[in-house]
Amino acid sequence: MSGSKVKKSPKIRPVDLSGLKFDKEGTMKKMEDVDYLINAPRGVDPDNIYFVQVDTSKCEGCGECEEHCATGAIQAINDDGIHQVVNPAACMNCGQCLANCPAGAIYEGVSYVEEVFEKLRDPNTVVVSMPAPAVRYALGECFGYPTGTYVGGKMQAALRKLGFDYIWDNQWGADVTVMEEGTELIERIKHPSKERPLPQFTSCCPAWIKFCETFYPDLIPHLSTCKSPIGMLAALAKTYGAEQTKTPAAKMYTVSIMPCIAKKYEGLRPEMDDSGFRDIDATINTRELAYMIKKAGIDFKSLPEQEPDPVLGMSTGAATIFGTSGGVMEAALRLAYEVLSGQKLTNPDIKVVRTHEGIKTADIKIPNFGTLKVAVASGLKNAAKLCDEVRAGKSPYHFIEIMACPGGCVDGGGQPLDPSIREASICKYMIAKINKRYRKRRIA
Amino acid sequence: MKNIAQMTRRGFLKACGIAAGYMVLGFNMTKDAIAATMEFIGLRQKSVYKADATLFKYRKSQDNPMIKKLYDKKHGFLHEGPCGHMSHRLLHTNYYDRSARIKALKEKGIKLSL
Ligand code: SF4
Ligand code: SF4
Repeated sequence: MSGSKVKKSPKIRPVDLSGLKFDKEGTMKKMEDVDYLINAPRGVDPDNIYFVQVDTSKCEGCGECEEHCATGAIQAINDDGIHQVVNPAACMNCGQCLANCPAGAIYEGVSYVEEVFEKLRDPNTVVVSMPAPAVRYALGECFGYPTGTYVGGKMQAALRKLGFDYIWDNQWGADVTVMEEGTELIERIKHPSKERPLPQFTSCCPAWIKFCETFYPDLIPHLSTCKSPIGMLAALAKTYGAEQTKTPAAKMYTVSIMPCIAKKYEGLRPEMDDSGFRDIDATINTRELAYMIKKAGIDFKSLPEQEPDPVLGMSTGAATIFGTSGGVMEAALRLAYEVLSGQKLTNPDIKVVRTHEGIKTADIKIPNFGTLKVAVASGLKNAAKLCDEVRAGKSPYHFIEIMACPGGCVDGGGQPLDPSIREASICKYMIAKINKRYRKRRIA
Repeated sequence: MKNIAQMTRRGFLKACGIAAGYMVLGFNMTKDAIAATMEFIGLRQKSVYKADATLFKYRKSQDNPMIKKLYDKKHGFLHEGPCGHMSHRLLHTNYYDRSARIKALKEKGIKLSL
C-alpha cells in the first residue's frame, strides 16, 4: 500500500544506539553547520523562549539578519553593530535571520535531539515519526545530493533504521488539512459572518500565526480555525493512531520533523493537548534529522526506498506541494473546485497560484460558482501588506495563503543551509568592515 | 550574478570583490544576494512540482483511500465528515491576542519595524 509509486523493499532492522555518546542538557552542539543548545523544554510558556539568538562573540555586525526580519526583533545593541534578538515576544521564530547569517553567529535555543535518542533506546516507549513534506526535498543535501533532490523513500527507511516504531507521515496530515480547511472555506463562502469572515487566511505556518496574533490580533477571526498539518496529525496519532495500532497513547512519543524552527514553538503551545496528552512530544528539524542519521552511523545513500505505514501515512500530490509557496492554496483548490462546481477537476495543475517569491494573486473560474479570488504570499513583510488591506476592508480575496519563509517551507529556517551564504562570509566581512569604518567616520 | 549555488568558490569571491566595491560606492548588495537565494529555493520548488506530477498515484486529497477511510460515513473515525464535532475537538483550535507584550516593549523604548 503506498501513496507513491515505489516498489516494496525488505524489512529494515534498526541500528544499535546503545553505544553512542550523548551531549548533556545545556551544552552547545553543531549540527549541519548550525549551533544548537541542547535543551528540551516541556510544559513551559514558549513565548519566553529564545528559539534563535545571536552569539555576540561571533557576530560581525554586518546587519544581514536585519534585512530578513519583518518585525525588527533582531537589531544592533551597540555602536559596533553587534546584534541580538531583543525579546522573544517580538520574534516569530521563522529563523530567516539564522539561515542568512554569513558569519554563522546565530544559534537555535531548543534541540530535542538527545531526548529523541533516549526515547528511541527505551524499549517501553513507542516512538512515532511525523516528517513534513519539505524535509524530503532538502535532507539529501546533507548527504551530498544536488539541491532539491527528492529523497522521501530513503528518509522513511532512515527513520525505520533509527528505530522509530511507527513511520507516519505529515503528508497524510496535509491531506487531512485539505479536507478540513477546504470545507471550512466553502462554509465561509456560503455563510460569511462576523465570527467567520472572508478572506480566510491559511493557518499552517506557526510564524505567520504568531505574527497575526501579535501584530494583527484584530484579524484573528480571518484565520482558519484549522490546526496545521502537524497539529492535526499529532492529535490523530494519539487517538485514531493509538486505536488503529492498539497502542496505549500514554506510551507514545510523537516526533514532529520539520523544515522549520517555529514548529518548535507550535509544539509547545499549551492548547496542543486535545488528544488528552501532549499532542507533540518533540520537534526537530531537517538539519537535526541529518545529524541523527550521521551520528547513528547510517549510510544514507545505500538505504532502500521505503513507504510510510499507510493508515496515517499514505498521501497524495496535493499533500507534497504543501512545502512550497502556493501549495496549500493549490491543494485546497483541487478540493474546493470539485465541491463548488459539482464537477471533476480533470487537470489538477493550477499553475497560476505557484509562487516563487513575493505576492501573487489569481482569479480562479469555477463552473456553477463564479470567480474565486485568491492571494498567495511568502515572507512576513509581504504578509503585512495583505493584512493592511484586510484591516482597511479593501481585500477582495476569498482565500489568502501565507508562509513566513520566502518561497515556502522548502526554504524554512530549519533546512540545510544554502552553501553560498557561508561562502559569502569573507565577502561580507569585508563589507562589514567597510561599513564599520564608514559608520565610525560618520560619528567622528 | 547568475546562480551562486553553482558558482565556483573563486568565481564567487571575485563577484564579492565587485560587490564590495559597489558597497564603497554606496550600493546595496542585499537585493542581489536575495535574488541568488531565490534561485537556490527554485531548485527545491521545481523538485516538489515534479514529484506532484510524477510520483503520486493520487493528486487530490479527497481521492486518497486513507482519507476516505478516515472520513468513512459508517466506520470512519471522523464519520461526521470534515468540520464535524470530532474534527472540531481534535483538529481545530483557537488563537490568542499577543499584542500586549509588544505594547510593553514599545513603552520601554524598544523600536520595532511594526
Ligand atoms: S527568527 Fe525571524 S522574526 Fe525572529 S529575529 Fe530571526 S528573522 Fe526576526
Ligand atoms: S514557512 Fe514553513 S518553515 Fe517557514 S516558518 Fe512557516 S511553517 Fe516554518
